[in-house]
Amino acid sequence: MSDPLVFTDVRKQYGRRGVKALDGLSFRVPEGSICGFVGPNGAGKTTAFSVVSGYLRPDSGRLQILGHEGFEPFALKGRLQVLPQDAELGDRHTPRELVTHLAQLGGLSGADSRRAATEALDIVRLTDKRDKRIGTLSHGMRRRVAVASALAGKPDLVLLDEPTAGLDPVQAQALREALAEARGTRTLVISSHNLDELERLCDWVVMVDAGRCVREGTIAEVTGRNSRAEWSLGPGELPLEALRLAVPRHHFEQAGHILHESAGPDGDLDASSLIVARMLAESSVPIREIRRGRSLERTFMEDARGE
Amino acid sequence: MRSVLDTFLVARFELMRAMRTWRAVALATLYVIALSGATYIYVRILWFIEAGLAETLGVPANDKPGAMMNELMDNGDLTRMLQEMSGSPEAVEYLLTWPLLSIWGLWIGILLLPFLATSAAAECISIDMSTRALRFEALRTGRAELVLGRFFGQVALTGIAASFGLVGAWVVGMTQMVGNDPIVLAYGLAAMGLRAWLFGLPFIGLGVAWSQWTASPNWARVLSVSFTAGSWILFGLATEFRDSSWGWLSDLVLQVLPQGWLNGLWHPTDWIISGGVYIALSLLAVGLGFIRFSRRDL
Repeated sequence: MSDPLVFTDVRKQYGRRGVKALDGLSFRVPEGSICGFVGPNGAGKTTAFSVVSGYLRPDSGRLQILGHEGFEPFALKGRLQVLPQDAELGDRHTPRELVTHLAQLGGLSGADSRRAATEALDIVRLTDKRDKRIGTLSHGMRRRVAVASALAGKPDLVLLDEPTAGLDPVQAQALREALAEARGTRTLVISSHNLDELERLCDWVVMVDAGRCVREGTIAEVTGRNSRAEWSLGPGELPLEALRLAVPRHHFEQAGHILHESAGPDGDLDASSLIVARMLAESSVPIREIRRGRSLERTFMEDARGE
Repeated sequence: MRSVLDTFLVARFELMRAMRTWRAVALATLYVIALSGATYIYVRILWFIEAGLAETLGVPANDKPGAMMNELMDNGDLTRMLQEMSGSPEAVEYLLTWPLLSIWGLWIGILLLPFLATSAAAECISIDMSTRALRFEALRTGRAELVLGRFFGQVALTGIAASFGLVGAWVVGMTQMVGNDPIVLAYGLAAMGLRAWLFGLPFIGLGVAWSQWTASPNWARVLSVSFTAGSWILFGLATEFRDSSWGWLSDLVLQVLPQGWLNGLWHPTDWIISGGVYIALSLLAVGLGFIRFSRRDL
């Protein structure tokens, strides 16, 4: 099983003396995963997406998309779908016409493309607006039409650049649910500044900064979900030494009302949580909150940005 | 095979889109107004000529022109008029077999269609580059198919607009003249309209070429219309200096200018050769634009 998307030392500079948008970017996205593509503004996320989509040509490096070297429109027809970040939709057509046309251009037959367009517009909850002119729709609805165009058909790899931008919370939640349903059936790469959203949705994460990949791996690996725990405690005498003796392979540190627990490579946070909880209860120390790993946002700020 | 299908899909969508924008409406309206108006003026001029001839012959003049076509032919006025319009004395005999209004329609089409067609075609790609809407299609097909599809969409759009114009000319001919057979006039207008449309193809190609070179639709339009006007000026200069020591250069220029092949349009069979040249020139223009488009970032 090969990775559907692999960047190897890909470089892209705008103009001869322009900005290095991609500066040796290397990462991979495993098949069937939902990958969060994370980075600050100007990190190279949109450029990376544009290179995959063939909108931009890389200066050097190797790019493998679904087993093909670089973007090949006919070889990837229907298998690769992209939601561009800032591309406007033509406003003279209806959502159904546009998505049907794009699906047909993506390799589906006339009947299949009409069916796929209807299904995709249902997913983004635009069923009742599918025959209105796009020009009459709100910004959020237009965004959903664009998302529908990326979901129509049975693509193997879908790249979504800020899919929930401009959507209200209800629409954004509905879209997240729709994307989550695709887990395992297709590979999704989602670029977003909303790291909480990505943390809930994704199982793989790639962090980029200044055109380079600064971290990649499963969400659990990157955030330390299987190796760190934070216990937020109420007032009481913390049995720190007893904990260290009871779970010798884990490291415990106290910082105010927070107990930091970190497990080594052979540690087991699931097993230790039972022991720690019991000992805290025996010591009458109330547990207010338990958090496994750091948040994706904190991980990014600390590891990628060094803050 | 997939390339052909993609080109067709893009062309169909481009035509659908164009017909819902101001471009198609403006193109058709302008052409209808221009062709109908010019036809009406022409009919009035014809009436004055007929009235003058009637006075010379001492016969009563008609309210509407068209009743004295045989007399005009004998008189030589019509022959001279057709010579001036076609620029070819040899073509007159052939042209006299067609309804006079269809010849007029071709002449007006030759003058107007290039400007209208190139101005509409100039934004067919550039506007979608500026909004990045082109990205949705560019992901799903090759750039060549994308450009050819847009080009063929514009070709079809111009054909539809020209057809509306011909309907306007037909209505003027049937209501403001006498002696026109409706079927013969319709056939004549359609046959000559086809030649005008063929003449418009290189200018559509020119518009599509500039549309690929710049992402600014306004610039693309200015460049396309300027080059169209420039081609007429160049044609005039090349014709003027054809007999000079620079004749070889004039001949060379006339080979690559659509206007250099105009004489064929007034000929019974050579119009097919001219049409072939126009198709080739249009594809050449599109190809020149594609040199830039195929390499540019979208």
